[in-house]
Amino acid sequence: MTRSLNELRPVYAVGIGWHRYQNPSETPYVELGLTAIRAALADARIEWPAVESSYVATALLGMASGRPMLRHLGATGAPLMHVENASASGSTAFRHACIEVASGISDVALAVGVDKRNPVRRSDTGIGHLAEDAIVPFTHFALLTNEYSVRHNASAEDIARVAVKNHRNGAKNPNAQRQQERTLDEVLGGKRVSGSLTALQCTPIGEGAAAVIVASEDGIRRLGIDAGRAIRTTASVGRSERVYPPGAGFDAALTKETADLALAQAKLAPKDLDIIELHDAFTVEELLYIESIGLCPEGRGVRMLKEGALDIGGQCAINPSGGLIAMGHPIGPTGIGQIGEIVMQLRGEAGPRQHGGARTGLAHMVGVGAVCYVHILQK
Amino acid sequence: MQPSKLLKPGLYSEGSSDREGATVRLKGGRCRCGYVFFPMQTYGCERCGSHGDALTSCELPANGTLLAEATVHLHADKNRPAPFTIVKVALDDGPVIRTLLADDSAPVAPGQRVTGRLAAVGQSESGETVLDLRFSIAS
Repeated sequence: MTRSLNELRPVYAVGIGWHRYQNPSETPYVELGLTAIRAALADARIEWPAVESSYVATALLGMASGRPMLRHLGATGAPLMHVENASASGSTAFRHACIEVASGISDVALAVGVDKRNPVRRSDTGIGHLAEDAIVPFTHFALLTNEYSVRHNASAEDIARVAVKNHRNGAKNPNAQRQQERTLDEVLGGKRVSGSLTALQCTPIGEGAAAVIVASEDGIRRLGIDAGRAIRTTASVGRSERVYPPGAGFDAALTKETADLALAQAKLAPKDLDIIELHDAFTVEELLYIESIGLCPEGRGVRMLKEGALDIGGQCAINPSGGLIAMGHPIGPTGIGQIGEIVMQLRGEAGPRQHGGARTGLAHMVGVGAVCYVHILQK
Repeated sequence: MQPSKLLKPGLYSEGSSDREGATVRLKGGRCRCGYVFFPMQTYGCERCGSHGDALTSCELPANGTLLAEATVHLHADKNRPAPFTIVKVALDDGPVIRTLLADDSAPVAPGQRVTGRLAAVGQSESGETVLDLRFSIAS
């Protein structure tokens, strides 16, 4: 018989840390990663030797980048593995760190994501294509924007409001790559990229790092970690794309089935969610995914957005960190940074971007391929 | 008439000609389970996993309904200067494909019927006209 994460022993996020997401710089990845890990250790108030296992999420650093970074914390001999799962690399690393602790193999594990903006290299499958070289991610999502606009009679302004909200949230986040509020005119008037998408509606791929330390109840007791600041992971689900009916958007369909499983695992309904951190690499995605997660019926996302229901302080704060659009998307760190944001919010430590009374948060990432990962954390 | 060659002969062949030009047959595949896909491959069926004799080639007329369009304003690859327009088309036989709109096409919108034809896209080193698939509004 198989079991889900929350049927194993409880696992808690006990330490979070970042190196700010930023434009590409000369800073070596080692410094980015160490900054995030040391911040997470300090947050948990534990020392590096307490960490029994490390999962290093990175998509663009190449082979075996973890040990040259981790050795500077003191080479304890603890196992480490690298996780590459496209944009969901960080989410996947977090899932496996949780599974290792929940299974009882370790009491304390680290998930750290670190990346630099290096070229993406994908191997040839041997199957030809008509024009995929002309269809980069922003055009994939420009096509989805066009479909969403026509199907739901949503204007370019309606969709661009996602970026206005997320830039506003990012302006309050010291770890965000973009920390500037933007008006609707600024968002719409920016450089046009593909279809109706403008530059401020697209994630700025940059660099950075994020770390989360997870622990069991035994680990928390043994190390004297403050249990009052520990946030439990109550659901973890990973899925990959199936064959959907012709014309169905796979990103939304895959998100729906993954989120449905995670909500069932945590025995929650969409209305129970206070915070969602989701993969808003492009504005239209936020509308597609809140509808897939079940926050509102299909096509009603714009109305929620305009009513302020998705704002910090609204019905459910979507991307209070600023999301991929404003906080940024350095690939490896992104999914781990989402977990850190939810932990901060559920602890009540999010300062000027605190969503009052937050008790339940959901983190969602998709990655090309396609894969989808959803986690739920609860106070 | 100039000699010509197809840019991607593994993916399509020239069909009959009408007054708008040469039509195109896409080289798709069909699995024993009924799943129709493009392009043809023999690795295995994405729906049921069957491989080998279960997968057979089939020709798919390049006719379908437009699902979405996007004009690309910025593109890093210098070999493909922007702007150009990408279309997402549900072929009448089932598969959904994404490719380029003809440069001389009228603007398109989701729901319209579209057809793929061969269009001259350049010259080969030996002087042949290179033809590639481009979609435009069905006549």
